[in-house]
Amino acid sequence: MSDVENFVVLTLVKSAPLIFAALAGVICERAGILNIALEGALAAAAFGAVAATYATGSPLLGIVAGMLCGALVCGALGVAATRFGVDQIVAGTGLNVVAVAAAAFGVAVVWGAAGVSPEVPSLGNVGQTVLIVVALALALGVHLVLERTPFGLRLRACGENPRAVRSAGIDPRRMRVIATLIAGAIAGLGGVYLSLAELSLYSDGMTAGRGFIALAAVIFGRWTPLGACAAAIAFGALSALQFSLQRAGVPSELMQALPYLAALLALAGIAGRARAPAADGVPF
Amino acid sequence: MKGAAIAFAALVAIAAGAMALAGANPIDGFAALFRGGFGEPHVPYDDHRIAETLVQTTALLFPALAVAFAFRAGLFNIGAEGQLIVGGLAAGIVGARLAAPGFVIILATLAVGALGGGAWAAIAGVLRARFGGNEVIATLMLNIIAGLLANYLIVGPLHSPGVEGAETAVLPADAWLPTLLPGTRLTIALPIALALAVAMRWFFARSVLGYELRAAGDAPEAARRAGIDLGRVALVAMTVSGAIAGIGGATIVDGVLHRFNVALSPGYGFIAIAVALVGRLDPLRIVVAAFVFGILQSGSLTMEAAANVPKDVVTLVEGLAILALAAQQYVARRGAAAA
Repeated sequence: MSDVENFVVLTLVKSAPLIFAALAGVICERAGILNIALEGALAAAAFGAVAATYATGSPLLGIVAGMLCGALVCGALGVAATRFGVDQIVAGTGLNVVAVAAAAFGVAVVWGAAGVSPEVPSLGNVGQTVLIVVALALALGVHLVLERTPFGLRLRACGENPRAVRSAGIDPRRMRVIATLIAGAIAGLGGVYLSLAELSLYSDGMTAGRGFIALAAVIFGRWTPLGACAAAIAFGALSALQFSLQRAGVPSELMQALPYLAALLALAGIAGRARAPAADGVPF
Repeated sequence: MKGAAIAFAALVAIAAGAMALAGANPIDGFAALFRGGFGEPHVPYDDHRIAETLVQTTALLFPALAVAFAFRAGLFNIGAEGQLIVGGLAAGIVGARLAAPGFVIILATLAVGALGGGAWAAIAGVLRARFGGNEVIATLMLNIIAGLLANYLIVGPLHSPGVEGAETAVLPADAWLPTLLPGTRLTIALPIALALAVAMRWFFARSVLGYELRAAGDAPEAARRAGIDLGRVALVAMTVSGAIAGIGGATIVDGVLHRFNVALSPGYGFIAIAVALVGRLDPLRIVVAAFVFGILQSGSLTMEAAANVPKDVVTLVEGLAILALAAQQYVARRGAAAA
């Protein structure tokens, strides 16, 4: 393969988990839930996928388990925020701590070792390619559902004006919980990708802040599925370039920091005024 | 109070369940946790353990006060972790390089710690004040950038010759914070943190600026109409909050590690959010909450060694405490409104 082809492939490989997580972030925020627990959802899903594969020998069941774990973490955020009046930021922070600690505890209990699981059957190169295609297709799918379907309209309305949604006879709290569950399952695919496609094991800290990079991608992509997907690919390209630029003398820390710096610039309104959904993060 | 008791009982039950899941007897687990936190019952002068608990209490108290300071003004500073790292980084760089009498170095490191943490948080404050940028996202991003920046500086341009790993050279011994108990790591950082808590209570209860901050936090729209500049509040609250966390980082450098290490915080800035919530954002209650969490932090290592329970159980329960307490306070508020 030529250098350009290599770069494109590596970019997609690095982007896929970010795309899953960023789409999850878009869905939640468009429904009015600022989901900072994506990092926890990725970790829980990555662990759940490996644990289920270890127990059953089937990485396909691992995918299901990973999606369930992601949905559990994000769904817990939705329920805590809508039914128990917990502030979304507080709940998200708590869930990140809980999910990462639960995965570490799980590693210790299931395998009796600290920090890393044994190798399990992975999804292989074919599975990885399929997941990358699924990530790209989901970006289009989420876009179509949000923009073109009544369900998408209702979901977006929950993020702009939940009172109006209630006046129309729909329960915005229920919609928000549904949004977090769907988003969690999608984020779960990101975790599955990390532990069963890129690698074939779970290790503590393997999510490496991708849940936060995804939040940056949501802002940079102006809260749209296609925009967030493009931003995730751009961030993926940065990590694909990291090795070559490092050899050229660019500090690796700077490369790693770029997505986060980009998010700060986006918050400062550089590259046009970014506007979050009106009721993003506002309790209802 | 009843709700809090139920929440506490639920957390204890979950911890016991997790210990049983790990194949340990929960009674042994809790016994080891408290032995680790308080010292051995039959060892007459076992000051060491309680001192270590107070070291952890201190390390949590600074960022918890920082978190509470911003929360009271209606700002979510979830960046105490990053501010603590930058404060510690500044203290470590200055402390390891400054040639001066010990007490001068100590004062200088505390000052640059406050400046570093304050400046780091001020970035989020400016974004909020000038551009209306969400401080939650900003502080989250700044946390990660702080870790990368520290790693780059310590391993790269500011690398100390002869030092292996991602840390600065050791500070001169006369610049270490004086200890309260000989032979322990318990230093005057604890009374400094306690004084800060008292000062913060006075600040919010009695001072004009404290009143403005509280007003902006409780009812921003009313505060704005009353002539309070919300942008200024955001900037002041974030900067002071970051400075408090930064001093905390500096005291870990001066008093505990005697150098800056990129891994100086095992997530104090995040656990501090739980501490601040358990203390209901009141400085004096936060002191009590920090002591309870200090017991957990220092006891968890003994629990892992003696009762064979992974120390992650403690982190798990701390995270659940954040959720349980926030929910319980909501239920209590709603109950009060209905009555």
